[in-house]
Amino acid sequence: MAQFKQWALQYVLSEDESAQIEIAQKAAREIESTRASSTVVGNWAASVQQWMTLASPNDEDDEMEDGDEGNSGDVISRAKALGFLAATLEFLDRTILRPDQVLRLIGFFGAMFSYDHKAGITASAKALRKLYAMKSFKPEMGVKIIEDVCQIKEDFRLQTAATRLEIYELFLELVQDPAVSSELQHKHGSSCGFALDLLQLCKNERDPRNLMVWFKILTTLVKDYSTSEEVTEEIFKTFSAYFPISLRASSTPIGITAEDLKEAVRGCFSAHQRLASHAFPFLMQKLDQGDAVTVAVKVDILKTIKACIEQYDNPQVSIVPHIEKIWGSLKYEVRNGEVKETIDATLEVLRAIARKLDGTKTQKLDVSLLKGYIDIVFRDCRDDLANPTYTKQAGLLLMTVVTTNIRGYVLYNATFIDNIRQNLRQPKSPSHTCDLLLLVNSVLKTRIDLVENRKEGHPDDEEQLKTESHSHIRELFHDVYLPIWTGKASEAGSEEKGVLKQVVQGLALLANQKVLLPDGNVFLLYPAPLCSEICSLLTAALTKGLSLSSRDNQANDTALEDEVVVGLRSVVMSFTDGYDEIATRAKAEISKRDWASPSEYSLGALKDLLSRLIFIGCSKIPTCTDAEGRSKKTYSPLQHFIAAIDTLLGLFPLSSSPTAANTYLISSLHAALIWFRDACTTKYEKKSPLPHSTSDKNWLEEFRTLPEDWLTQLHRGDDAIEFLNKDDPEVYHQFLKLSLFAVRRLYRDATAPSQKAWAEQSLTQLAQTAALVVQNLDEKLQIACRLSQEAFRFFTESEEPTSLESPLNGLLTVGILQGLRPGAMTELYEPGGVAERFLCDTADTVYSSSRAADIRAAIGAILANKYKGGPSTSDPESLTMKRVLDFWGDWLKKTTASTDVSPEKFKNLNNVAMHIIGGAIARQDKNVVELIPILQQAAASPQVNGEAVAQSLGILVKANELLTPESHAVVRRFYKQWAYTHLVKPLYELARPTAENSLAATRYSLAILSVVSNCQFTIYQDDLEPLIRLLVTALKSRSKISEEAAQSHVISALEILVEIILNDSGALKGYVKEIVRGTTNVYQQSMPKKTLAQPVKPAILTQSRKLALQVLGAIPKTFEERYTLQYAPPTQRMLAMACGDPVRKVREAARSARANWAKVV
Amino acid sequence: MPEILENENPTILNVSQLPSRSRKGPSARAGPDSAFDSLLYPSQPWLSSSSQSSSSEDEEDSSPIDEQDIFDLIAPISDPEHPHTLGQLSVVRLPDIHIQHPSDGGSRLTTVTVDLTPTINHCSLATVIGLAVRYRLEQTLPPDWRVDIRMKDGTHAQDDQVNKQLGDKERVCAALENETLKGMLEKMLEGC
Repeated sequence: MAQFKQWALQYVLSEDESAQIEIAQKAAREIESTRASSTVVGNWAASVQQWMTLASPNDEDDEMEDGDEGNSGDVISRAKALGFLAATLEFLDRTILRPDQVLRLIGFFGAMFSYDHKAGITASAKALRKLYAMKSFKPEMGVKIIEDVCQIKEDFRLQTAATRLEIYELFLELVQDPAVSSELQHKHGSSCGFALDLLQLCKNERDPRNLMVWFKILTTLVKDYSTSEEVTEEIFKTFSAYFPISLRASSTPIGITAEDLKEAVRGCFSAHQRLASHAFPFLMQKLDQGDAVTVAVKVDILKTIKACIEQYDNPQVSIVPHIEKIWGSLKYEVRNGEVKETIDATLEVLRAIARKLDGTKTQKLDVSLLKGYIDIVFRDCRDDLANPTYTKQAGLLLMTVVTTNIRGYVLYNATFIDNIRQNLRQPKSPSHTCDLLLLVNSVLKTRIDLVENRKEGHPDDEEQLKTESHSHIRELFHDVYLPIWTGKASEAGSEEKGVLKQVVQGLALLANQKVLLPDGNVFLLYPAPLCSEICSLLTAALTKGLSLSSRDNQANDTALEDEVVVGLRSVVMSFTDGYDEIATRAKAEISKRDWASPSEYSLGALKDLLSRLIFIGCSKIPTCTDAEGRSKKTYSPLQHFIAAIDTLLGLFPLSSSPTAANTYLISSLHAALIWFRDACTTKYEKKSPLPHSTSDKNWLEEFRTLPEDWLTQLHRGDDAIEFLNKDDPEVYHQFLKLSLFAVRRLYRDATAPSQKAWAEQSLTQLAQTAALVVQNLDEKLQIACRLSQEAFRFFTESEEPTSLESPLNGLLTVGILQGLRPGAMTELYEPGGVAERFLCDTADTVYSSSRAADIRAAIGAILANKYKGGPSTSDPESLTMKRVLDFWGDWLKKTTASTDVSPEKFKNLNNVAMHIIGGAIARQDKNVVELIPILQQAAASPQVNGEAVAQSLGILVKANELLTPESHAVVRRFYKQWAYTHLVKPLYELARPTAENSLAATRYSLAILSVVSNCQFTIYQDDLEPLIRLLVTALKSRSKISEEAAQSHVISALEILVEIILNDSGALKGYVKEIVRGTTNVYQQSMPKKTLAQPVKPAILTQSRKLALQVLGAIPKTFEERYTLQYAPPTQRMLAMACGDPVRKVREAARSARANWAKVV
Repeated sequence: MPEILENENPTILNVSQLPSRSRKGPSARAGPDSAFDSLLYPSQPWLSSSSQSSSSEDEEDSSPIDEQDIFDLIAPISDPEHPHTLGQLSVVRLPDIHIQHPSDGGSRLTTVTVDLTPTINHCSLATVIGLAVRYRLEQTLPPDWRVDIRMKDGTHAQDDQVNKQLGDKERVCAALENETLKGMLEKMLEGC
């Protein structure tokens, strides 16, 4: 006894929650240790007696009088004392108390609700919840608890929200407990007196957290208790009073949103069909208040109606009697509605009704219910179809109810379409026609979905589809679409175009309609000749461009053609014969013309036609559906792709001279590959990544045995393409093989001695096509096909590399090399082999122009990058690359020490050298380290060529579009850091503006900025101080370097400044003056000169000016006014002038800078 | 600002209907099939190192300020009473902007004249709109440009008075010192 008293005292005095828990645990252990002997439990309960003023001693269940408010005064202590008991219960083993003890404790705590409204409630509620969880809790005790708690009556409102929540939780637990529930119903019957007490007690609740529980209690009462009509109504009144519920924004988040509350109330409404006779009239009345209802409330009402419809059982009784009324209110929401949200929510309700009346997946309801519903809708909407103002809305309503399920669709679609057709015969305006067509199209579209998803519903649905009549759909083409198309095709008004767009969509949908035969097979609804007619109708719209002259076809709006393209693509996905027809027609139209010297307009038309032709056939993979009168050609997912590339190859060359027309064919081939690759990714990659080819068969060997016109044979269907007819990821593999065949053929053509049809642009496109194919082959296959050799042999039979002669053919080499994996290239690197000869070549012929040098540089970069030496390769001692780098080292030393090589030639060769070294740097080739001192010396050389080296060092770390992960380049993650540390860091000291050798210092500065401007900020952030000094000097002085180098120096400096301002502007704080003056200076010096001879390209000057203004404009945004104020007036004047800059982009930069500086006052 | 809108239902143009530079002349087609056009028909030769300046489009050529530039500067100003821009409401129209370059030997000033068309002819906010246009142009044009803002003939009941106000330098300066008016202008210019 004394011990419990001691603990109780400690508990009451303690402020620390963890200490209190400890005490309660001790007490609980003490009770458990005696197996809850009556004495111990008694002592424990009596331990709080001293705080229970006026309570009689020694008896734990004795009633306590509420202490006189004035003199007991110690409400807090009393609450804590009771808290001690509640906390002990929390830690007590739930099996330990005996039923009689639980009952007595319930009595004790229950009594608190009658007497101690100030201190006892929270603790008692908690304690009662614990007691409810005890093993010896009996259902009748639950009844007692509810009765006891309800005694609190009016004082319930005065409790804090947290206390009330505790009580709500208690109630919820009790009413949800099946045993307590049956006891309650047994005792109270359907009159449910306890429920009325609860309603009385809680009806004024406003706290959101409590409401969430309260609504759950109400939902349970309606759902699980068979309450009498009166009680149901009372409950309905209680929760409907909260509707529509909203939540005031509060600064303290409570974790409950308005949406949660709405859902909880919605749960009450839809709890049981018993509420139907109250809920529907109530909600309808709310909805019909007109403008007084906001959109959010309207949506809430509609969602609630939908929830009721979906949840209520026995729709004949609960829903059918209200349908007329619901429809009467809802139709206006759509017919006259303007807000998308309400319209959508309304349609959802209508759809829910149709679904409910149809029945469930397992049990269909009587068909008369659904029929009755749709009839009501038809009655009201039919006439609206003839009224252009309401056509769309009426159609939407009809669509919604008719197409919700298969049964409704089969019963009513014919009537619906018939109604639309009648109206289409006498349309009131083009937009009326448009709306009506949209409706037919929607029905057709839904039909496709219904057929597609037929297995998801009741088995009867599928049966109904099998017996469906579709003659009215069959007639649509000749009856509806064709007359409108022929009638409007010649007119070009925007309204007519809208109609035609609908026609195109409709035709595409018609060609995709499928029927379900009684045997379960799926067939195209339209026979092949009809589909074919649709194709040719639409194709004519695409080829029209070619036959018109530029005067006749000035419309820039290609929306209709775009629609046709999408439409045709959709047609040929099901009607696979269609694509051949389109391709043949396009081919005929194109070859009819002479492409030797076409007009710009014709070229544009050709480009568009080809682009569309490719998109239609290659951007999606066709499926296999049978149709009446279809050709006997075997289906293959690749058939359109084959037809497309065979058509392109068949057309090539359109002209025997290198015209744009030829280029367009090659570009289109490239497009075909890209589209088809993406289509494969979309279709097959969902399951697993596309397989790389796994065979190590030499495809090229196989190609040699195939006829030149193999693709044509496949296209015609002569050659069996059984291996191509499976619709699985293997398609991708076969696609690569066919593509390689096409690439091989064109490579041979392009490099044939007499060829004249290839322009540089065509070669570029072909090379990129080759890269696309090759990079997707795996290493084994690349080796098996010996593709690395083909990079220099171009698939010809010659043993000697041919590429080294013609510079432009180098593009083709780049194409293949770009796609190769390093492991497949080792053959090239044998000592003295192709790669070495190529990389160490400074012969004059190949460097005749800067373009030739660019291509050489690209090949060099790839070869240097994908080099792989070492054991088991053809360069076992890894010497080839070392020799190459040494070669260029020597060359640089020699050429920068004298003026033997003209600057022009030096620049070209230096470009190649830098790219080769750059390729090796990306791979972090350790041989590069030895080359670095040579590079540094070369840059500092007093000869003029040194400047070119310094200026071009940036190439070493510049991102190279050829060295990407997709093209299997070896790019180490930190190669830029590596290069920076070795190449740039040692130069800072030497580049100081005050250094002895000022020419060398300037060159070093040029080199540093050239490299740094190609690096990310993090790489050089540790060297900001010396770097900024260099930047400032670069902006200020241009001595000792040529005008051109000075400009590139300045541009690098400005680019770096932009980066620094973005990342660590604080470092520039001490240099505001220099930067403002420097950028102003740069801007003024970069104005285009009036003189004719310009040493620097205007584009470079423009870039300088733009960057200068960009940096200048960022200053006031970055630094506080005290740093900038003194420079404001002159800068503002200068920027005002800059707003009149001759170049638009510079003016934009000037304006934004001016606005920023205008704020400095 | 008046509580009741003076013109509740002005005609509103879609942003795509406004005159813009990019839509002048033959533009690139953007059909469903042209997704890869930049790859297939690149504007620069492949592997070209001389293309360092990544934006060497024809924009780099010198192109003096023209009417379209002026339109682009003022069309995004928002209307004080509608949530639309002056361009969308056709208050500012491209054909009503005129630039007069200095003739030889005369003054060196270029003059830009903008005729505004109020949405209704008794618009009380016409002066505010005019002021905003003027303020915007003065902030963004070089100092050797003169700005002349007027109401288009016959579009406003009191166009003489409004024009007089807008042409009066001192009144314009005084108006810009007024904090309330300044605040309103800043709000109108937010979208620029």
